[in-house]
Amino acid sequence: MARLELNNLHAEVAEGDETILEGVNLEVQSDEIHALMGPNGSGKSTTAKVIAGHPAYEVTEGDVLLHLEDDEFGEDIEIDEDQRTWNLLDLEPNERAALGIFLGFQYPAEIEGVTMTNFLRTALNAKIEEREELFEDEEDDESDAADDEGFESSPMEGPADEGEIGVAEFQQILQEKMEQLEMDEKFAQRYLNAGFSGGEKKQNEVLQAAILEPSIAVLDEIDSGLDIDRLQDVSNGINALRDEQGTGVLQITHYQRILDYVEPDHVHVMLDGQIAKSGGPELAEKLEDKGYDWVREEVYGTA
Amino acid sequence: MSAGTQVHANLTEEQVREISGDLNEPDWLTETRLEALEALEELDMPDVIRTPGRDWTNLHDLDFESLVDPLNAAEDKDQVGPDEAEVLAWSDAVAEHEELLKEHFGSIVDPQENYLTALSTALFSTGTVIYVPEGVDAEDVTVRTEQNSRSLFNYTLVVTEESSSVTILERQSTGAEQDEQYYSGVVEVAAGENSYVQYGSLQNLSKEAYNFTVKRGVADTYATVDWIEGNLGTQLTKTEVSTTLSGDSSETQIVGAFYGHNDQHFDLDAKVWHRAEHTTADLVTRGVTDDVARSVYEGVQDVGADAWDTSSYQRENTLMLSDESEADASPKLIINNHDTEASHSATVGQIDAEDLFYMTSRGVDPRAARNMLVEGFFVPVLEEVDVDELRDDLEELIGARLRQRD
Repeated sequence: MARLELNNLHAEVAEGDETILEGVNLEVQSDEIHALMGPNGSGKSTTAKVIAGHPAYEVTEGDVLLHLEDDEFGEDIEIDEDQRTWNLLDLEPNERAALGIFLGFQYPAEIEGVTMTNFLRTALNAKIEEREELFEDEEDDESDAADDEGFESSPMEGPADEGEIGVAEFQQILQEKMEQLEMDEKFAQRYLNAGFSGGEKKQNEVLQAAILEPSIAVLDEIDSGLDIDRLQDVSNGINALRDEQGTGVLQITHYQRILDYVEPDHVHVMLDGQIAKSGGPELAEKLEDKGYDWVREEVYGTA
Repeated sequence: MSAGTQVHANLTEEQVREISGDLNEPDWLTETRLEALEALEELDMPDVIRTPGRDWTNLHDLDFESLVDPLNAAEDKDQVGPDEAEVLAWSDAVAEHEELLKEHFGSIVDPQENYLTALSTALFSTGTVIYVPEGVDAEDVTVRTEQNSRSLFNYTLVVTEESSSVTILERQSTGAEQDEQYYSGVVEVAAGENSYVQYGSLQNLSKEAYNFTVKRGVADTYATVDWIEGNLGTQLTKTEVSTTLSGDSSETQIVGAFYGHNDQHFDLDAKVWHRAEHTTADLVTRGVTDDVARSVYEGVQDVGADAWDTSSYQRENTLMLSDESEADASPKLIINNHDTEASHSATVGQIDAEDLFYMTSRGVDPRAARNMLVEGFFVPVLEEVDVDELRDDLEELIGARLRQRD
């Protein structure tokens, strides 16, 4: 089990002093699906980016904590008691990823010259390696260093950058996940998002989450611009994250539509950089019908 | 400004005669060399881009006095090719192919084009002649030059007869390193009717070396001249890679890749002259500058008045990995025939912070992410490189240089 906890989170744009988050409180834990809704400019995407460690934002107050139980990463990784709570704000984006945070981008980067396969295998191996480093005991450190030297001098060892998951093993994982998401296998050899349609990019984000097996996935408008077939594929992917891997999902969306396929346990409404209201699935339906003004009225007492 | 003041006392007619004599050259060649020597006084340095206040590349400060050591030209050379084509050392070509040399030597790159071509013509002591007879397909011609002397002047001539083809891979590196070394190379390619020449070059001289190279081809009717130009070594490189499309329906592609770091300075020209009908040119260069390195790129597409139905494309992209590196580009398009489809563009940029964040947020550490982005940046040009060996070597050298970074 893992639990992401946002405490009184304040953030502003790093270059400038425009405040965007004004004290966000939110908790998402494993096996739960949360929907985060709200009008444009209310701070939803910023919340997502701050959780993942985007360098353009500066946190001025509050915490982003990740609580892990001892078995979060299986038997191979032993999580000591003093390593069960992490302040993500102290960590680099790749370290946060290693601890199980995943951000699905609203606008995924197009990266030419780097194939999906190469990127994802690199990411998966980097994540495993970084995780080992984060949870390594100091005593283990020395013996590991000795091991490493041994590897380097061994002629039987493969190339140093091969990583934990080899090419063949990774191909198998990738193929399996792509089938689940009904993705064409030709994607594997294409350059990362380069020339992908909007829908293909979103599908690819879910695929990446499926492969990286995050503890908490923050999905920023994963549903926008999808046709109905792809919306269903993407929704199936998100449900599988929760049902098969126990991932906790924080889903940012403008629309009720995806919530018909990915049923949230909790719905939150963001207004002016704060969570203004939280409720169950019925809240999303009410928002779809009535917009956000009534929430504003309820919270501030005026329209 | 004349560079005449740089002709130094230790460069004499006797030395030129000695070089020519050692190679058993006929009188006309010796004369061509002596004329080039004599012309040094009058000739200027090759053109560089000038903007008010500065030359983008300063060649005048090169200390030829100490760089040039005319009678010492130690090198280690491989000249290998398939049996069907002739791949000859210069002295063998002089003995066996005088008429061929007489026809082509100096016909494409004028020995007296500038100070450095003249210096190269006067002093070259090593060279390769590649002759591909009619209808012959010659793959895997390799010319490898390892410089072990203070200065080395190299000459290459490629002649392809009708409907022949050849793929040439040339490499320059440094064996015995010295504080400062000078490598000079002139390459002339005469592509006969309907022939195909692919000329790949990988320059990886020592970081203390200076390099001046001109590679120029002339494509006859239906001929294709393709260049691949990789530059990684030297402290200062001035190169030109160019093609004259003189025959109808001739084509050329110039693919360039460079990676400058430390205080390296690359001045790279890619040029095409469209001088016949239905000709096509594609110029694509990508490069990286790091530390305080500097790159200057000049690309010229010159469409002549008689060049009807021309297609001409040019793209240059430079990625700066440090704030202190510099990259300048000047893509020029000169059109004297309206029946032309052409494009030209140049960009200079840095690694995109959003791209980097996307990758690190998936768990890739920042350093590995950056290296993947840079390697990916080179992929579009590497994909254009048809010579596997050259592509693999380039990839490896780029990767190695990236991993050297902090």
